[in-house]
Amino acid sequence: MNRASLHFLLAALVAAALPLFMRSGTLASEVLIFAMAAAACNLLLGYTGLLSFGQGIFFGLGSYAVGLTLLHTSLPLSLALALSTLAGAVAATGVGWLSIRRQGVYFVMLTLAFSQFFYFLAYTFKDVTGGDNGLLNIPRPAIGPFTLGNSWSYYTFVAVLFLFVFAALQRVASSTFGRTLLAVRDNEERARAIGFPVRLFKITAFAVSGAVTGLAGALHALLIGVAPLSSIEYHMSESILIMTIIGGTGNLFASVLGAGFYVIVSDLLSSIWPRWLLLLGGLLVVVALFMQKGLWGLLERLVEALRSGRKSPVEAPVRPESEGRGI
Amino acid sequence: MLNRRDLLKSSALTAGSLLLPAGLRPAFAAGEDITIGAPLPMSGPFAANGKFGSMGTAMIVEEVGRILDRKLGYIEIDTEGKPATAVRKVQEAMERGVTLFSGGILSSEALAMGKEVAKGNGVFITTAGADEITGSECNKGTFRWSVPTFGAIEQTVRPLIEQLPDAKRWYTITPQYVFGDGLLNAAKAIFKEKGIEHVGNSYHSLTEKEFSGYLTNAMAAKPDALLILNFGSQSSDTLRQAVSFGMKQRMTILLAWASGLEQFETLGPDLMEGVYFGAQYWHGIDSPFNRELVAKVQAKHKMNPNYAFASAYLTTKLLIDAAAKAGSTDGPAVAKAMEGMKYAGLTGDEEIRAADHQVIKNYYLLKGKAKSAMKDKDDYADIISFGKSFQSPEEALCKMA
Amino acid sequence: MIYLFQLVNGIGLGMLYFLLAVGLSIIFGLLHFVNFAHGAFYLLGAYLVYDMTERGVNFWAGLLLAPIIVAGLAALTETVLLRRIYHLPHTFHILVTVGLALVVQELVIILWGPVGGNVSPPDALGGVFILGDFIYPQYRLFVIGLTLVLAIGLWWLLEGTRLGAVVRAGSESTDMVSLLGIDIVRVNTAVFALGAGLAGLAGALAAPIRGVEPFMGIEALGIAFVVVVIGGMGSYTGALIAGLLVGIVQSVMATLWPEGARLMIYLGMGLVILTMPRGLLGRA
Repeated sequence: MNRASLHFLLAALVAAALPLFMRSGTLASEVLIFAMAAAACNLLLGYTGLLSFGQGIFFGLGSYAVGLTLLHTSLPLSLALALSTLAGAVAATGVGWLSIRRQGVYFVMLTLAFSQFFYFLAYTFKDVTGGDNGLLNIPRPAIGPFTLGNSWSYYTFVAVLFLFVFAALQRVASSTFGRTLLAVRDNEERARAIGFPVRLFKITAFAVSGAVTGLAGALHALLIGVAPLSSIEYHMSESILIMTIIGGTGNLFASVLGAGFYVIVSDLLSSIWPRWLLLLGGLLVVVALFMQKGLWGLLERLVEALRSGRKSPVEAPVRPESEGRGI
Repeated sequence: MLNRRDLLKSSALTAGSLLLPAGLRPAFAAGEDITIGAPLPMSGPFAANGKFGSMGTAMIVEEVGRILDRKLGYIEIDTEGKPATAVRKVQEAMERGVTLFSGGILSSEALAMGKEVAKGNGVFITTAGADEITGSECNKGTFRWSVPTFGAIEQTVRPLIEQLPDAKRWYTITPQYVFGDGLLNAAKAIFKEKGIEHVGNSYHSLTEKEFSGYLTNAMAAKPDALLILNFGSQSSDTLRQAVSFGMKQRMTILLAWASGLEQFETLGPDLMEGVYFGAQYWHGIDSPFNRELVAKVQAKHKMNPNYAFASAYLTTKLLIDAAAKAGSTDGPAVAKAMEGMKYAGLTGDEEIRAADHQVIKNYYLLKGKAKSAMKDKDDYADIISFGKSFQSPEEALCKMA
Repeated sequence: MIYLFQLVNGIGLGMLYFLLAVGLSIIFGLLHFVNFAHGAFYLLGAYLVYDMTERGVNFWAGLLLAPIIVAGLAALTETVLLRRIYHLPHTFHILVTVGLALVVQELVIILWGPVGGNVSPPDALGGVFILGDFIYPQYRLFVIGLTLVLAIGLWWLLEGTRLGAVVRAGSESTDMVSLLGIDIVRVNTAVFALGAGLAGLAGALAAPIRGVEPFMGIEALGIAFVVVVIGGMGSYTGALIAGLLVGIVQSVMATLWPEGARLMIYLGMGLVILTMPRGLLGRA
């Protein structure tokens, strides 16, 4: 079995196992929805080396698109979801096209500026978006013969879409296009010299990422019946990024781990202690210091340790390096 | 590929349906207890409201102890002040059999939760500010205790105009969203009726923290009165900065939607002296039920109940009383019992209007005291006037489904 | 006339923004470190002054002590934690500093409660300055004056001292500095502490204007990033000009088109990055 099949199988296992461990289909659906968003973010971060603070834009637009379509037209759910995917892709193409003109921190700051800009846009045009109140009363219509009213039936629907999207993203990643992205990430100059249309590739990566994120946003709006302003806020971008980094950027399944971990741990901690963000903050520091390959890296080390029949090795602390610095 | 996916789909289905009960937490699986949901922002910028709201709900639940021969409990649900999180956690609570909810501080989360609870045949009572809750978005499962923007302005701007016949020029500062416009429109109507000159308005966004630019505009218009229509920390910032610009000496300032004690503690008497405030609740209200509550809270927590505490205490009590009256915790039955309910409340006699689920209660005009005049550390303000003003359900645009 | 008011007010705001952002800018310039915890130092500065004045400590003493304590805490954080991650990609800088900011914010809530509070300006500056129709809080005038003095002092520090030379050289090439035989590790710590201390001072100065509440750091961080990006990362003069620009735009927009103030600022930020990639005055 190759790596891609293994990762897909793991993703399928997660989708099948969540119902066994979760007390609610709602939380389980949220895990898979954010797993999609994180995997899409990973396509940019891990595969293309682009740290985008704009993922919340696409997520929020997807939410609004599905809500507006279902509220103001009689189009079926499938088309509404397709429109959300398109909205995410179009916005991402635009944001990507402008943002990739700059590199490094300036790229990050540009996506941050876009993220704020879209937030204030959504806030200002309250006749369309509902402003601070959010877009209310979004229905959850049946898809074909299947009704989605029950939280576990909706979960099943989300799970099917999730596996489909995950497989599609894997195809993208393992295609020539995907492997070229890795080449661009590792050495952009060389990729350019070889003659790859680097800019076009980056914009395409953005479009794919935006499409999937838009779909995730739409599924989230259907889950909660509202497209809130907070879905397009800067914090949404931050959360999606954090999930992606926690999971690890080595492969797409890592993002599923990251999203699952973030969503479930947040839910758990917040029910225990109102100051749970303190623990989350501490966790982020620990991940950056000791788990730079994320949860996936941890998993790999565990498997490695089991294989070699030894006890899990003591982690070597990161050596403080004062001279070197990376950008 | 396809086959595998289908297989997975069906296995997920069976797994879900077979093991659903196993997913329930033991604490709620008992089923015999009556659990009241308290969805409040325990973390995030509105954590202060959440903290006191939770204390209020806890106190009444503990006090009543049992109804319908079942033990009464409550579960604190951290909404993080985000509608998405609020709705998701409320959904989960409903799946676990919770039907009665008291909470919701922010308009956005309250609106979204009200919809969700109504969809699941539960009952939700809130104190949030959005008029839509008992207006255009009203529904069978949602109730609101707080007075809408119309009444808040009627009971503050109107009496103040009558008290200060010389204040002919008013300036307003308004947050740009539905809540702010609700307050502003109500104020404009009174200005027109009373022949007041509305010399200007500044809109600002909900994320604004710096008001000096707007205050500079306001001063240039040379008003006799400044009407501040935002709420929470924004209204504190506006007032603080207005005072630093010396506006208190030059004009009358009215903050129409103050949060009461919790806000006054952050402002302090120096800023508050001579400023007028509108409030839903004040621990100095002279009603039998309120005096009783103040005594109980002082005995138990060594503090005076603030708005978040008192309102959560009362709204939870309404749910409990209605469930007892209905003889069940079934949502529609409890809602039925609440409709038209009359009771001795915190602000005197209160009534839940059946047509739009709005509680008919008093709104208060307070005036900040000098530090030297305060009788105790919480005696920040005196009640100047109070009363009940409400639009009809039709005027409020409520069409109950 | 109103625009003259708004201009003065905008300068007042802008100087505060400069103080807040210049620290972030020099930290980035020397360390190439993306610091999402900068707002947390601002928050701490404000709360320390609040705490001290509540305990009856003189405001001036608080204003002096708060930034020093913040700088000390920052130096400690840098030594124990941050210098371990300088060599990692930006992703991890962001992760650690976002985490740190959350920790500080929640600690503030635990220590001082979620409600926030008020800091009175010192009695001598509690009044207003009146000149004809022109009315302005004395305290805000004092802040303009003090930040002006600080700006000059900082300019001297960066342009006229050995530390400044190292910082400027360091922002171009760390290796070169190492070759000069300067202990770059200690310089890093010093610069980080200086930057954080400036943010702490900005917080302390802002406390009587804004009051304190646990989430004030997030807003400050947003503004600091905008100013640094517009001015150019690592540029002292850029931070000064951009700070003033943002302050004046914000203030004047309050008269022209208040709803659009933020929209304009972020649009401006985007345009600057696109047309002037190094900001108005950023170093290459």
